[in-house]
Amino acid sequence: MLARVKSKWTYLVIAALLAFSILIPFDWFLGQYTVLMIFIGIFTMVTVGLCLLMGYTGQVSLGQAAFYGMGAYFSAILSKTYSVNPWLAMMMAAAATGAFAYVIGYPFFRLRGNYLAVATLGLGVIIHILLRQLGPGGPDGMAGIPYLSIGGFAFDNYFKRYFLVWFFCLATLFISQNIVRSRTGRALRAIHGSEAAAESIGINVDQFKVKIFALSAVYASLAGSLFAHNMAHISPSTFDPMASVVIVVMAVIGGLASIWGAIFGAATVAILKYELLLGFGEWDIVVYGLILMLVMIFMPEGLFVGLRELFGRWRLRYAQRGAEP
Amino acid sequence: MSESILETKGLSKAFGGLLALDKVDLAIEAGTITAIIGPNGAGKTTLFNLITGVYPASDGQILFQCTPLKDASSHKRAALGIARTFQNVLLFGNMTVLENIMTGQHTRSRYGFLGAALRFPRARREEEAISLNAMKYLNMVGLGIKAQHNALSLPLGQQKLLAIARALATEPKLLLLDEPGAGLNALEKRELSDLIRRIRETGISIVLVEHDMPLVMGLAEWVVVLDSGQKIAEGTAAQIQKDQRVISAYLGEEVE
Repeated sequence: MLARVKSKWTYLVIAALLAFSILIPFDWFLGQYTVLMIFIGIFTMVTVGLCLLMGYTGQVSLGQAAFYGMGAYFSAILSKTYSVNPWLAMMMAAAATGAFAYVIGYPFFRLRGNYLAVATLGLGVIIHILLRQLGPGGPDGMAGIPYLSIGGFAFDNYFKRYFLVWFFCLATLFISQNIVRSRTGRALRAIHGSEAAAESIGINVDQFKVKIFALSAVYASLAGSLFAHNMAHISPSTFDPMASVVIVVMAVIGGLASIWGAIFGAATVAILKYELLLGFGEWDIVVYGLILMLVMIFMPEGLFVGLRELFGRWRLRYAQRGAEP
Repeated sequence: MSESILETKGLSKAFGGLLALDKVDLAIEAGTITAIIGPNGAGKTTLFNLITGVYPASDGQILFQCTPLKDASSHKRAALGIARTFQNVLLFGNMTVLENIMTGQHTRSRYGFLGAALRFPRARREEEAISLNAMKYLNMVGLGIKAQHNALSLPLGQQKLLAIARALATEPKLLLLDEPGAGLNALEKRELSDLIRRIRETGISIVLVEHDMPLVMGLAEWVVVLDSGQKIAEGTAAQIQKDQRVISAYLGEEVE
């Protein structure tokens, strides 16, 4: 509760973070990390969908990479092979992926807990194999995917795309935040709390589960499309079942039941994956596991809540020291 | 006799070979407090679960306001005006006291994902009404000062009051209370009786399952006795207390 009170400190921190993040892609500042930041933005979008599903509604999914991959491939195929406008391709991909998740959601959510986890894991495996076998280019994937553009303004370098990706990422976070603090959000949390009680007060439990599953798929699909239009080249290995596990790791590290924590989770894992652990090769998964364990032991509600509490405690101590004569 | 809010006709439920409820006929008069009593395993909670649609009946039918419920799902029955509490309370532990009650207003508001995501004016208006109504029910059960506490941080007595407030927030016509008095001390039980009477005065019909006989006899205008899935007696509290079959069901005497 303490840390929830919005003080001048909170606004100061937010303003500083905002200024910092606007300056990141400039070459004289942290320009070399622009691509990394783009990845963090994209991962955050996938992660926040999983947070809504797992953290708020209490439903496991080990197959989010499937939707991420579907978004990327739909977008790539439509815009490259069929010359559809990339924006339209992105929207069509999101609609198709969302509809797909909605339809498979009904049989899926007859399952609970571990069974649901296995079913979603299976979905991830199947989609990955389909992308390898049926996707254009097979295991090599496809290249030459067009960039997004508005009128004559093309997002043709990382500097521009940094702002594009983070616009989508922040929009996703704000929308999720609004959902969480609404009638819908309460219904989702009620399902997590007690399905029997949720039903007893008129919440259509099955339908809400399917809808939030579809929403998380739409987020993942949009992120996948952004990935495709960013990298211009995609291959199935990006969307393998291990990617789904990494998404879960991001969600857990950031804090399952915290929307803004998704950024922290995505950032931690992305920085490890693309910067700090490059020398580890395939051993990086061991380090993820270790970090996951440490976070679970010391900050079970994730980095965001954990750090906020730490900050709050530090502030309290600071205030007490100031009060002493 | 005035109109029945709820009727069951030949209602039965079998779990495998076990007949949990055996051809029970009930008529709950609108605006009254009815108690359902009986030894453990008599089928009281099964009856509640059938009325609220947790599982389907094996046989027989349930009429709510003279309309058969058929196989309407649980959440649809809540929207129709059937609310309940649970023996094991089942609060939402991941929410505050106030949020628990606000969640109870679910069926009395409409806006969905899109309205929530984009904060439409309608969503904000409804949200305001939800908060106001929730405060009303919160104060009705006397938990106003605990609004921002976590629901599970309350002592059991207050948790049970909160569960009742959450059920009331669905704005029901019929309220089913499953052992509201269990685990409460004498003072809390007296407060509970007062609350139940006040709820009845707002026009809500109440059915309660309860083991505490003084509580039941002080509250209920009509008492139904179940034993081994069958209705063995019904009547006013005074009639039931003298009924030989009821006494034997509880004390295990042989009926001549």
